[in-house]
Amino acid sequence: MRQRRGHLLLVLPLLVLTLFLVGCPKRPATTAASAPPPTAPAPAAPAPGAVAPAPGRAPASASASASAPAAAAPAPAAAAPARPAAATPPRPSEFSESPNLKDIHFDFDKYDIRPGDATILDANGAWLKQAASNLVLIEGHADERGTNEYNLALGERRAKATMNYLVSQGIQASRMTIISYGEERPACTDKNESCWSKNRRAHFLVKAR
Amino acid sequence: MREAGALLALVAAVLGVVMGGVLSSPPPARSQAPDVLLNVMASGAKRLNIFIPDFTVVAGTDTGGLAKRVPEVTSADLKFSALFSVVSDPTPLPAADVEALRQRWAGAAAAGAHAALHGLLSLGGGRATAEMRLYDLTSPELRVIASKKIEMPVAEARRLAHKIADEVVFQFTGEPGIADTKIAYLAVRPGVKELSLMDYDGAGPAPLTANRSINLSPSWSPDGRSVAFTSYMGGYPYLYRLFAFERRPVQLLAGYLGINTSPAWSPDGRSVALTLSKDGNPEIYLLTVATGAFRRLTTHSGIDTEPSWSPTGREIAFTSDRAGTAQIFIMDAEGANVRRLTSGGFNTQPRWSPKGDTIVYTSRRGNHDLWAVSPDGSNVRQLTAGPGDNENASWAPNGRHLAFHGSRLRGWRIFTMLADGSEQQAAPTQGGEATSPAWSPRLP
Repeated sequence: MRQRRGHLLLVLPLLVLTLFLVGCPKRPATTAASAPPPTAPAPAAPAPGAVAPAPGRAPASASASASAPAAAAPAPAAAAPARPAAATPPRPSEFSESPNLKDIHFDFDKYDIRPGDATILDANGAWLKQAASNLVLIEGHADERGTNEYNLALGERRAKATMNYLVSQGIQASRMTIISYGEERPACTDKNESCWSKNRRAHFLVKAR
Repeated sequence: MREAGALLALVAAVLGVVMGGVLSSPPPARSQAPDVLLNVMASGAKRLNIFIPDFTVVAGTDTGGLAKRVPEVTSADLKFSALFSVVSDPTPLPAADVEALRQRWAGAAAAGAHAALHGLLSLGGGRATAEMRLYDLTSPELRVIASKKIEMPVAEARRLAHKIADEVVFQFTGEPGIADTKIAYLAVRPGVKELSLMDYDGAGPAPLTANRSINLSPSWSPDGRSVAFTSYMGGYPYLYRLFAFERRPVQLLAGYLGINTSPAWSPDGRSVALTLSKDGNPEIYLLTVATGAFRRLTTHSGIDTEPSWSPTGREIAFTSDRAGTAQIFIMDAEGANVRRLTSGGFNTQPRWSPKGDTIVYTSRRGNHDLWAVSPDGSNVRQLTAGPGDNENASWAPNGRHLAFHGSRLRGWRIFTMLADGSEQQAAPTQGGEATSPAWSPRLP
């Protein structure tokens, strides 16, 4: 938690600055009226790091916090959309595979933990207890059936259900971060149930604290 | 002014479903519908035969071959509209010789054409001006129905052609066509989905993002300037907005822990409905873009996602698993008065028609196919029936066409069809798989 707050202190000024740079009046005087006809798209968007504030974990009272950066920002940013400000969880790319944490799997369109998978989670939890210096990223995945947006929600529910189970086993919630990939990152790409069942999974990655 | 509305209504009655919702809003005051369509449709034809000879260059030098290229593109647009059959003619027209012109129109009329489109091109300084003239070949005097000048840079000859086609459709239906629109979509490579843009007919594909990440769910702002989308470019699935035709940085719209997905701009352009899981499970929220304020609309322990606005902005259709499986529900825009719309199977991706009278959705019964239902739950009908899966419908702004992605060819491709499921055809997207089409509004 202390570490998160440290992140927050770093991120806030950046966020305010970025809001100032990114935030724009509703009708930019230079382009709105004389914008060229949209036949040629603008060049591909620049790298996100350059333009987007590093957003992050919203505190429990997230909607209230949305006004924080705007309030702290200089006058021009008042018109800019306020953004949720918070500590940033580590990027997913900072986590790596662990041979000690096994995937669990789910029934089609379901996100409850099956008894056999609970056993796997118990073993994962036991390892996490003795490897207390590790943070965990729980990925929630869906098979390709269903539609992309719905599967993102389904993957989210699977990751959350997995995290809640580990919390009930005594693992601190503050050690865990979840991410849903929906159907976007299949482990197996054949179009049959054997493959789909492999894709309906929660997957674990770790990072030294 | 003549009884344009009554004429159009009669035409619509004859054309039936082909006309779709074109006439559910009153035609603009400047519209005066000619009786060409009326005569033709009364005789039982499904399409109007329009004669389109090559355009005539009246000033400047046509180094770009526009006299042929522009009417070709306009012809393709009119065929796509499913309101016209086109007869082309490469023989040069004697534009200055009134009597010779008359003879050509009379000949076309005798061969079955109901209307003729002729363009007079003035070229110079890198610009092209087309004076388009539309003739009613069913009138004894072969009268001119409409005449209009449209100017464009020569480099945008295709857009000039699209605008001519949209004007022709306007003259015959009271509502402009959709040829001057674009489709945002996802260009798919292994592990990467880049947001891309093409003309509605597949021409001019170009990337909108180049972040080598997974980008999802493009949704156009109603002013046609920006696209909201979910991206993993920062690691987590946050919601962003990019400006499609301007050199402006990508804006972060929502970056909460959990998912920030499934954006849908409100019809007034002020808000974005989206799905956030920050309060524990996927719920639909309303983001006021100018202030950054979020307001929660749904409260249920299950999944609530995929909002789609009614064109009035008063209601939102969405997907929820609160009934055990995924089904479509409707609530009012404040989140109250939730009612269930679909039953049976597994139904997702509601897409409310711009005319308000139809909601298209994706239904899984074995494969996925597109279905349609009226907002009161009546008139359930199947629009696609394989092969493979057909998903992710997006309405053209006139409510007559739909784009969607399907797996009937190798991999995912983008297809278009009429709102009744007819005229299904592949959009010529280039270079690999393409998914998640988002049809733009009419562009400024």
